[in-house]
Amino acid sequence: MLTDNSFIEVDYHRHSKNGQSVAGDVFVSHRVSGTDRTICVLADGLGSGIKANVLATLTATMAMKYVSSDIDLFRASEIIMKTLPICKVRNIGYSTFSIFDIKHDGMVDVVEFDNPPFVLIRDHKKIEVDKQSFKVTPGNLGPRDVWHSRFRVKRGDRAIILSDGITQSGIGTPTMPLGWTDDAAAVYTIDLCKRRQDISARSLARQITARALQNDGYRARDDMTCAVIYVRKPRRTMIITGPPIDKKKDCELANLIETFDGRRIICGGTTANIVARELDKTLNVDLSMMAGDIPPISRMSGVDLVTEGILTLTRCVDILENSPNPDVLDPNAAVQIVRILLDSDIIEFVVGTKINDAHQDPNLPVELDIRKNLLKKFVGLLNRKYLKQASMTYI
Amino acid sequence: MDTIKVEICTGTTCYVMGAGDILELNDHIDEHMAQNIEIVGSNCMDLCKDGQYGKAPFVKVNNTLVSEATVLKVVEEIHRQMT
Repeated sequence: MLTDNSFIEVDYHRHSKNGQSVAGDVFVSHRVSGTDRTICVLADGLGSGIKANVLATLTATMAMKYVSSDIDLFRASEIIMKTLPICKVRNIGYSTFSIFDIKHDGMVDVVEFDNPPFVLIRDHKKIEVDKQSFKVTPGNLGPRDVWHSRFRVKRGDRAIILSDGITQSGIGTPTMPLGWTDDAAAVYTIDLCKRRQDISARSLARQITARALQNDGYRARDDMTCAVIYVRKPRRTMIITGPPIDKKKDCELANLIETFDGRRIICGGTTANIVARELDKTLNVDLSMMAGDIPPISRMSGVDLVTEGILTLTRCVDILENSPNPDVLDPNAAVQIVRILLDSDIIEFVVGTKINDAHQDPNLPVELDIRKNLLKKFVGLLNRKYLKQASMTYI
Repeated sequence: MDTIKVEICTGTTCYVMGAGDILELNDHIDEHMAQNIEIVGSNCMDLCKDGQYGKAPFVKVNNTLVSEATVLKVVEEIHRQMT
């Protein structure tokens, strides 16, 4: 969280080299608990496939640990390079890396080694950032340049980190003899951000990767990764689920959702009935979007999405946990919730704690999880895996 | 003849007890019956809580409540009301 109430959205998209089931690029991001920092690392291991993945994973994980524990960045870079196992074919142990250490007051430290230089976009322009180089002498590679830069980000800024699979896509083709190049990729990105001013980090990363893949004729010549860091006004979503334990609080619950500034989701039939009754609204089940084994959604004016409760939420957790791409799934109620959440930064769950007696029947053919436990897991996933700022209050 | 309103509860309990199948009612009935009914969903009828209305899933055919509903039971009730 930045001091001016901005949010740092981090997301990436990756496509493996044609024929490889494992990518040699690794991107990890982590919000350091107890501090106000977000750290992201993109590493590109030598070669492709499993070997490259091991090198890149080692690099990214080590970098993450070192930076989190405030070890000197230059020293850390050297240790990483010296630790990597030596490739038998090429007789070097090598992985590139770009490390972003973002303090939530807006100060950013970047250390780059051999990846394409990151692009900072502000007000639809590429901002040149001063960089200092320092020499690191890892193992048998001889002295290498590592670049360090420090700058302050503002709301609206985007930083784009690309692996060389993207900047070199299309190389050798008549239209791009030298590949897409860093500059052309930056121009494309800026143009895209102009046309879609609020494009999320997730969509932008996906679009850039898709374009690179197109340059390569849809057979990626190298692993492609695009990571985007986007500093923006937080997008808020509130999910209310479950009736309040005390009926007197029904009105409070309805007011919470009605006055919320952001997107609103209601999960649960009874909960929806309570809100409809308190706010004097009508509820209509939409049977046109029946998809799979999840109950249909309903419509209520002023609310973005109304769904069934526990089955739908259980599926949401399943999708988030096993992370299939929600863009290609059938848009059932759970998928629609996940899509909204992935496009949100701050997510507030308001959880009613009344027990639904009908769910306690041992004859029910499925196990219905206890709402509180399920939502604890839900919030944890959103915060840890998706770097959202999710919280939960009981009512 | 007036259209018969078939209201199917899609709350959690009803759904796991088979309301999902009843939503596909149209696939099981002939054209004549299909033309005379209107299928609507309900997000929760609030009937599953205390057992006095029977067991889920619940379907209302006009104002007649069908508990432990199946496609067959619903079709029978529609048929009864049509004749």
